Amino acid sequence: MTEVTLNLTRKDFVSDQMVRWCPGCGDYAILAQMQRVLPELGIPKEDIVFISGIGCSSRFPYYMDTYGIHSIHGRAPTLASGLKLTNPNLQVWVITGDGDGLSIGGNHLIHTLRRNIDLKIILFNNRIYGLTKGQYSPTSLPGTKTKSSPMGSIDPAFNPTAVAVGVGATFIARTAATDVKHMAEMFRRAAHHKGTSFVEVYQNCLIFNDGAWDYATNPKTKHENIIYLEDHKPLIFGKNKDKGIRLNGIHPEVVSLDEVDESELMVHYEDMPDGSLSYFLSQMRHERGMPEPMGVFRCVDEPVYEEEVLQQIDLAIEQKGKGDLQQLFYQADTWVVEDESSGQNGSNGQGGNGSVPTLGVDEEYVGVVFNDEASSEPYFSPTDTLSTLNPRQPLIASQDISLGEAIQKLHNLDVGLLALVDDNGKLAGVFTEGDVLRKVAGNVTDLDATPVKDFMTTNVTALKEDDTLAQAIHLMSIHKFRHILLVDDDNRPVGVLSSRRVAHYIQDNFAEN
Amino acid sequence: MSELKPIYKDVDSVVIRFAGDSGDGMQLTGTQFSSTSAVLGNDISTFPDYPSEIRAPAGTLAGVSGFQVNFASKHVLTPGDAPQVLVAMNPAALKSALPDLVPGGTIIVNTDSFTKNNLAKAGYDSNPLEDGSLEGYKVHKVPLTTMNREALKDIEDLTSKEKDRSQNFFALGLTFWIYDRRLDTSLKWIEQKFAKKPAVAEANKKALFAGYHFGENTEAFQVRYRIRRAHLEPGTYRRITGNEATALGLVTAAQKMGKPLFYGTYPITPASDILHYLSTYKNFDVRTFQAEDEIAGIGSTIGASFGGALAVTGTSGPGLALKTEAANLALMLELPIVIIDVQRGGPSTGMPTKTEQSDLLQAMYGRNGESPIPVIAAQSSADCFDTAIEACRIAVRAMTPVIMLSDGYLGNGAEPWKIPDADKIPPIEVKHPTEPNGENGKFLPYKRDPETMARPWAIPGTPGLEHRIGGLGKQPETGNVSYDPDDNQQMINERAEKVARLANWLPEQEVFGDETGDLLVVSWGSTFGATRSAVQSARAEGKKVSHVHIRYINPFPRNLGDILNNFKRILVPEMNMGQLVVLLRAKYGTHEFIQQNKVTGRPFTIKEVYEKINSLLAES
Repeated sequence: MTEVTLNLTRKDFVSDQMVRWCPGCGDYAILAQMQRVLPELGIPKEDIVFISGIGCSSRFPYYMDTYGIHSIHGRAPTLASGLKLTNPNLQVWVITGDGDGLSIGGNHLIHTLRRNIDLKIILFNNRIYGLTKGQYSPTSLPGTKTKSSPMGSIDPAFNPTAVAVGVGATFIARTAATDVKHMAEMFRRAAHHKGTSFVEVYQNCLIFNDGAWDYATNPKTKHENIIYLEDHKPLIFGKNKDKGIRLNGIHPEVVSLDEVDESELMVHYEDMPDGSLSYFLSQMRHERGMPEPMGVFRCVDEPVYEEEVLQQIDLAIEQKGKGDLQQLFYQADTWVVEDESSGQNGSNGQGGNGSVPTLGVDEEYVGVVFNDEASSEPYFSPTDTLSTLNPRQPLIASQDISLGEAIQKLHNLDVGLLALVDDNGKLAGVFTEGDVLRKVAGNVTDLDATPVKDFMTTNVTALKEDDTLAQAIHLMSIHKFRHILLVDDDNRPVGVLSSRRVAHYIQDNFAEN
Repeated sequence: MSELKPIYKDVDSVVIRFAGDSGDGMQLTGTQFSSTSAVLGNDISTFPDYPSEIRAPAGTLAGVSGFQVNFASKHVLTPGDAPQVLVAMNPAALKSALPDLVPGGTIIVNTDSFTKNNLAKAGYDSNPLEDGSLEGYKVHKVPLTTMNREALKDIEDLTSKEKDRSQNFFALGLTFWIYDRRLDTSLKWIEQKFAKKPAVAEANKKALFAGYHFGENTEAFQVRYRIRRAHLEPGTYRRITGNEATALGLVTAAQKMGKPLFYGTYPITPASDILHYLSTYKNFDVRTFQAEDEIAGIGSTIGASFGGALAVTGTSGPGLALKTEAANLALMLELPIVIIDVQRGGPSTGMPTKTEQSDLLQAMYGRNGESPIPVIAAQSSADCFDTAIEACRIAVRAMTPVIMLSDGYLGNGAEPWKIPDADKIPPIEVKHPTEPNGENGKFLPYKRDPETMARPWAIPGTPGLEHRIGGLGKQPETGNVSYDPDDNQQMINERAEKVARLANWLPEQEVFGDETGDLLVVSWGSTFGATRSAVQSARAEGKKVSHVHIRYINPFPRNLGDILNNFKRILVPEMNMGQLVVLLRAKYGTHEFIQQNKVTGRPFTIKEVYEKINSLLAES
């Protein structure tokens, strides 16, 4: 993302629509910070899109003077995905809430995070259904008394960051709407991440769930209840920075820095490839007596979905040429029906002489031409000939050598298969390391006195260099052959292919893509 | 054997069914027979019928794979009501196909497969070849496996199991003899297909010749049938299934718009093949997205349309139900998308591999609120190509979702397709505004085109046209959220008017036969072939009956009412319980509509419609 001067200001992102959230709603602060951060990003505003679902938070796009869609309940990530796949140049933000994103749209959220499409997902978590007037949400703690749970809710709560870790999200962060500077920084970080960014924002619903985040947002108490994550730094918190997190077995615990040296504390790494550290962090919940992490849990680079989609398209064009409709229509057996006025009366049959019809031109065929199927090549083709896999020279010996010699040869040259030939150099059989284990070991007392002939496999399924890769794969997968011998037309061994070589060939030809 | 001299009989058409175990290569045999017949200039229509189980146990009824070919010297529109000839490779194939065979039909059986074990697997208590139960049929008992092995005995490089795999070519060769087909096409195919396996090629060729010679030298096969060339329109032809035609139509429409094609979908029988085909067309900038569910399929499609792609989603009945809410969002956003519904037997999961036309009312009305959406239906497998292009044209013209109805019968069935000249398919004009359309440089996303009433399709990335759209009630022109009563009424009126106006632009309904008369048959979708054939037959006998086949279901063609007025009675055959009739009655209620309905999972036969026509004409 190159920074260019566009001279955009906060005002450029304010739409002409009156903001209609309840006075005092946490959403106002989120909107204001978003409008403050976007001008800094150096992205023309016509390239920015906000897509939301349904809920209080989902009114957000109406208030942003960018492109935007206020879609339907839970489905914003799906629209955003289709849009981003169509035009990867756009910066697409998804605005969702705890009900929209984790309940009705839970399926879309997890699959979007899994794919790592370059979307910025902001989840406003107020632990309540606001727009439908106050039912408990998937993030409400058990026991929450609402209109639909007068005796207290009994659903265990979703843990949004843990969900994101579980599906392999590449950017996970948490902030609070009251902590405006921190929130702005999280939006900046999310904007700069390449891949799906997931930011959970603690947001207060004044009307239906006031104070749900008090422990994490009240300036008087929050420092004891939250911990700011800093990359490569130990986990330290408290108003006086006097507490830290230490790993005790597999459980994080709170320790006092008066008693424990800083070097014993857990250190935060955003870019840890596996999700274990992020998962620890996600499990640190207030209700379990732990400070809740705020900041970037995880930020790793993984392949970005839409880029791979476009790479496949480019590769297909490179391999097959830019699509030609006429050619595509002809990708089948075709035949021509000529104008009947050209003299073909269409008589059918060869007459009564009973002979088998011969190949060649016949009046019956003049009006009809048979064309071959146009080919469409896949990236690597199962019809590739085995010679293209560069088979290795086989290890060849006379079938008259002893078992001891044969084993010695396999051992010395570290190969898995020995081709045994007769006096004319033609394949008589094969002897493999597997044969040593299965047939020889424990059964033969004098290796040098026993001819290998007695232990070789004679009914060998060999292929030729111009046989296809598909045949080799077939033998290897169905018959569990680890090596396949290649012979020439005179049944002389000319090459050997290992299953590893075949696997590498396939892999290489995918990897180049 | 030289004294054998075959007698030739000319016939117009023959319907032959090849039936055997899934592993017997019956689809290949049927396809080879179709290709040769097509190359010989016959018109063909085929109906592959394979088991829904991925791998049903060998020898059982569930494992029977069939392929029916109708080949004729006249134009054929269906794979034929009932086969006249059945090639049965095992007892299960005989048992499952026999009920369909015409009385007195011909049966060619492989007697070698009628072992005790196979008979038991097929559920036969006694051998039907011996107990007289096939009396009345012309039965040819052929020890096909034995004869095939004998014919291939000189081939050393193959095991007897491998040799047995050629026995379908023996059967093919025999049918080629009986129907006076040339062997060239199949020989050439074998040579190409097995170029790298000369032994297999040789075995298949020998088997083909052996079958042919067996017919030639057997007294029972000395009556040969000749089916002359059909008078097909000149051109280059290929076989095509409805699903492939749909995929080709979509990619053609995208190319004609100069746009990428986005296809967001979730796999569902019988629509998945469209996804399979499209995913191989990536060099046409086709972006297929296998979403996590049906809803994500259509959601991503709406997003892609917002971004300016030609955006399409495909599904079958249960999936269409899931897409309902999002289809309505597309309607409110007034973004063009195409929803393809390859209908199957319902309700609920129903019969996924069987065919039905029972999603019509769902397509028309299966959404909340006032939500008219254009609906069009393909009439044949090859017609799916044109219908798909048409659906895309309508969508971008009117900025609306469009539902295209196909069905399992069209999707999986095949027929000859006269390959069009790609250059002659007209371009589809799409405009994306770059300048504001309101006062003071304002962009009004819902300011409509005076003629089409479509709103402008401004796409993200265009400076100055930033706008927000959503599913809430709207103010006209600005699209701003509005619950104002007049605004809501006006927007609903406008969206309805926009769809209704399409009728002015779409072609008029054509009538097959006389413009007036006692009886009109009205059909839609895949019943076209059976209905048109039945009407043709009746008219050939001098009966006064005409046919209207409706492609545009919403809006109906502008002259449809006038056409209906010219007939006393109207027969409507449908593979549902009368859904088109509901629509016709709602709009043209004064007519007498006679329903002919069937929901058996199988298409109409010509005979069924023909007999209904006759009985109605006899009453009057």
